Amino acid sequence: MKKPILGYRRKMLLLPLFFLIPALLLYAVFFVYPFLFTFLLSFQQWDMISPERTFVGLENYAVLLDDEVFWKSMRNTLLYLLMTMPISIALGLGLALLMESLMRGRVVYRFLFYLPVVSPIAVIAIVWSLMYDDQRGIVNSLLMLFGIDGPNWLSDTSSSLWAVAIVGIWKGFGYEMLLYVSGLKSIDKGLYEAASIDGAGRWRRLVHIILPLLSPITLFIVIMGIISSFQNFALIKIMTGGGPNNSSNVLVYQLYQEAFQFFSIGKAAAISVILFAIILLITTVQLRLSRSTVHY
Amino acid sequence: MERLWKLTEETGKHVLLIGLGLLTMIPIIWMISISLRSEQYVFSGHLVWTGPLHWENYVKALTEVPFFRWLGNSLRIGVIQTLGQVFIGVCAAFAFAYYRFPGRDILFLFVLMTMMIPMQVTLVPTYLIVNQLDALNTLTGVIVPHLASGFAIFLLRQSFISIPRELAEAAAIDGAGAFRLLWTVYIRMSGTILWTLGVIAFLSNFNEFNWPLLVLTDPELMPLPLAFQYFRTETQMDWGATMAIATLSMVPVLILYLVAQRYIVDGFAQSGLKG
Repeated sequence: MKKPILGYRRKMLLLPLFFLIPALLLYAVFFVYPFLFTFLLSFQQWDMISPERTFVGLENYAVLLDDEVFWKSMRNTLLYLLMTMPISIALGLGLALLMESLMRGRVVYRFLFYLPVVSPIAVIAIVWSLMYDDQRGIVNSLLMLFGIDGPNWLSDTSSSLWAVAIVGIWKGFGYEMLLYVSGLKSIDKGLYEAASIDGAGRWRRLVHIILPLLSPITLFIVIMGIISSFQNFALIKIMTGGGPNNSSNVLVYQLYQEAFQFFSIGKAAAISVILFAIILLITTVQLRLSRSTVHY
Repeated sequence: MERLWKLTEETGKHVLLIGLGLLTMIPIIWMISISLRSEQYVFSGHLVWTGPLHWENYVKALTEVPFFRWLGNSLRIGVIQTLGQVFIGVCAAFAFAYYRFPGRDILFLFVLMTMMIPMQVTLVPTYLIVNQLDALNTLTGVIVPHLASGFAIFLLRQSFISIPRELAEAAAIDGAGAFRLLWTVYIRMSGTILWTLGVIAFLSNFNEFNWPLLVLTDPELMPLPLAFQYFRTETQMDWGATMAIATLSMVPVLILYLVAQRYIVDGFAQSGLKG
């Protein structure tokens, strides 16, 4: 028998490392290093061009806390989340329940409702921009059929964020729907029948059996929904540019403006750090809460 | 009587779902309908266009701007990035699923964490690094920073740990080395999940807007999602042609979606995650 070149133990250490090296290297260069670098930059002042970066301590944070635009963006980021998530979850769950109770035709509906999710966001944003046109866009034309005089969606400070949120809901509910469909498929039919024999009506079965069993999926949707709603960049960039008067500006868009339009790298980095802190906070709270409320 | 009631209920549900389905399709119908109108009828306020079809919008979209070049860029980014993500994902997932080594669980937790943190948190420094590496305005600069995908590693690792360990051990006793093990046992048995991952990752890479927007300023290199932005400003909102480009950009996505719908749905059933 050939003698092994490396001892078994050492081999079991080196081989996994070998397979992990590409991923670890990439993570080191394009995740860990930039992540730490963001923190450093947030304490500095820099315009991306000059060779000098000056240390300014917490000044970038102080400037942000005093910045009216920052507070608007913060408020809009949270508002956008509140506008999109409940409706999107309700639509997704409702459609999933409706479709799973059908005898035929599920595949067709699933295809239709999921189509917005796979569509390129840039295309969607352009199409909706035209749909929102004040004069003869289709949105206001359709509202007119019901006698409603629609607002100038994208250029009115009171409707611009809603306009973007509606597109966000349209683009996203199919994702929630598909998750709930796969959740409903995994529910044990026996449980269902037992409850119906015990005389539980539809509503009680929904509230006492289905919803609790779906709660892990709902938790997952909420966490992923928060994270993805915070990354709502393309729609804002293409449809409103954060305007008018920052009424649709959000943190990720302000970050982009500070870094790539105003070249205040320090301020942009400080927004990044704050964004990270918010996500950390929300996910921690969510996970804590879930331990007491999620039923498996 | 009960059957009649059931039939009525089923019909009612279909009516409701067809209504909602049509409502959902409005933007798509609108996009195609505008792409076939002449300029003066763009704002006619009708959803469906019944007048003469203006195919010249498509001729404009295909000849006045380098549409096929942009499509090629999109496909290249989509294919290369996806293959890279899958390859790196397979290697890392194999290490996580097959080997036991100190720090494994912490490393895996780290991979999960990278999925939770939005790209924007590291956006500025990543841009600076790519700039430093002289990779702005190159496809490398678009692709490489996102090659290590937490989603790919996670999805593949979940699939690999569900493969019975005895199979791998039997192969190892027969003298299979690590590469043979990975190939003959793990990859061979993960066909569906590899396709699923491939399709979901390709769609998300093909549709990506934010990162290419920063890296690419040269119109020659742009992928479709960026390019027709550029078209839009240059031609002063020629809406017919813009919607023709939009429609054409949807075609590859639609084809893939039609062909691979099963994989997308399977992926959800198995992982409950999106790319």
